[in-house]
Amino acid sequence: MKMSPEYTKAQERMQPGVITSDGFLGDDTRPIVDIIAADEQTMTKLGLDFETMCSLMHRLVAEGRKGLGEPVTVQNSWVARVDEARGFLASPFDDGIFRKINVELELAPNGKPTGEKILYSELSLHLIEKHHFFQGKGSPFRLDPAQAKKVLRL
Amino acid sequence: MNPAFFIAPLAISAVSAVLAALISLTDKIVNNYGEVTININGGKKKLQVNGGAPLLFSLAETGIYVPSACGGRGSCGACTVKVKTDIGPHLPTETPYLTKEQIADDVRLSCQIKVKQDLDIEIPESLFNIRKFTGVVERIADLTHDIKEVYIKLEDGQEANFVAGQYGQFEVPPYAKIRERTQRAYSMSSAPSDKGHLEFLVRLVPGGIVTTYVHEHMKEGEKVNVVAPVGEFHVQDNDSTMICVAGGSGMAPFKSIFNDMIETGKIEERDVWYFFGARTTKDLFYMDWLKELDAKYDRFHFIAALSEPQSDEPWDGETGLITDVLGKYLESVIDQEKTKEGYLCGSPGMLDACMAVMRKHDMKEENIYFDKFA
Repeated sequence: MKMSPEYTKAQERMQPGVITSDGFLGDDTRPIVDIIAADEQTMTKLGLDFETMCSLMHRLVAEGRKGLGEPVTVQNSWVARVDEARGFLASPFDDGIFRKINVELELAPNGKPTGEKILYSELSLHLIEKHHFFQGKGSPFRLDPAQAKKVLRL
Repeated sequence: MNPAFFIAPLAISAVSAVLAALISLTDKIVNNYGEVTININGGKKKLQVNGGAPLLFSLAETGIYVPSACGGRGSCGACTVKVKTDIGPHLPTETPYLTKEQIADDVRLSCQIKVKQDLDIEIPESLFNIRKFTGVVERIADLTHDIKEVYIKLEDGQEANFVAGQYGQFEVPPYAKIRERTQRAYSMSSAPSDKGHLEFLVRLVPGGIVTTYVHEHMKEGEKVNVVAPVGEFHVQDNDSTMICVAGGSGMAPFKSIFNDMIETGKIEERDVWYFFGARTTKDLFYMDWLKELDAKYDRFHFIAALSEPQSDEPWDGETGLITDVLGKYLESVIDQEKTKEGYLCGSPGMLDACMAVMRKHDMKEENIYFDKFA
């Protein structure tokens, strides 16, 4: 796939120090269209669809916020911890700003934590949902589709 | 060999060099704003700075620190300044963080606007007292599995003068993939009387730049910078009943406040109810100290609540979300007749939830105090 001018601009805004200190690309040197294409392929292989996955992740944010900053057990399957900070982060695709809300979700069947975790933010969820962009390898907020499948029990 | 093989690359290189020089020269001419004057609060301070930099950084260079929770990245909306000089319309990077009233009142985000001309600005005069301290990490202690107490000794000759409840901007150096110094705001937990030290409670936030540094990289003996004191959160001087609520590292300002009240004797002069929420017993800390205060001072009451106590942990205290426990006490335990003030420290979501409970129990919004910097 070719990089459109919009994607080129987005990739520039994903560099460290532009929107966030560590950026969105980690150690990944691939153009973002290639990162997106590779993760879309992985999603298909894993039998996952974006709508179902993102809808569940949104629901878990809402449940986690009820803990008021403390971890909370959700549906006897997960422990969700939601951290909120003042302000907003802009999307590198220039299509919105998002509250600084981070979610750490740990798989905990029957309330027993397994150590299997995923970390996502309101912004990173938007990037997956609208742009199928899971972030570059090595980025702190990259969500690996296989790990998401395991933790979200999809 | 055809001389064109040598001449063509040389010619291209020469043209590139000339163009680069032209661009550099143009940049120096067009973006050179020279020395400009920033006139603060109608002439109370006048600063001479080199034009071209964002206002936030120009002010910081001259020792005036406007609070910013994101270090000037334009993502927190905290660094507001009123600019009386006409510098053009608000930028798209400012408007999401400002209310209609602020925009109408010429309030700007100082990290987003550049100093290109003489400026008249207005800032709270309390900002004149904020300064950059340097110190050494004297002690790092684990309070829980994810909260550390960081005790900093200020360098000789430096004294911190702050009011219990205020916060500081804690700065960490570049590390791992983080290429720049990063600041985040944390409440001081030390007592104001301990002028040679500053103490902070730092809870590990997954993916957090400063909290990860403090938990995984910071060492005792290391030098650190802190910009302080910042914020308006402090105990009001009256005899209203204080209803204090916190969770996690939100304990910090209350540790400072209670120790200050002990030193000044005020802890015996007014009713204080302190509600602290945690998930399990492993998230509790300072319990012995707080229970001791509860036992020692008739008017001090400490209520800890666990939202998810584990079956294998002994716990005979309150259970449930701290907001539910707060509601129960406001309903049936705390004297209804006395005027009450709310003091909160926590995440924006926690503050909103506590305020809703307090309003429901007839506490006035203007009597609920917090710093929403989390």
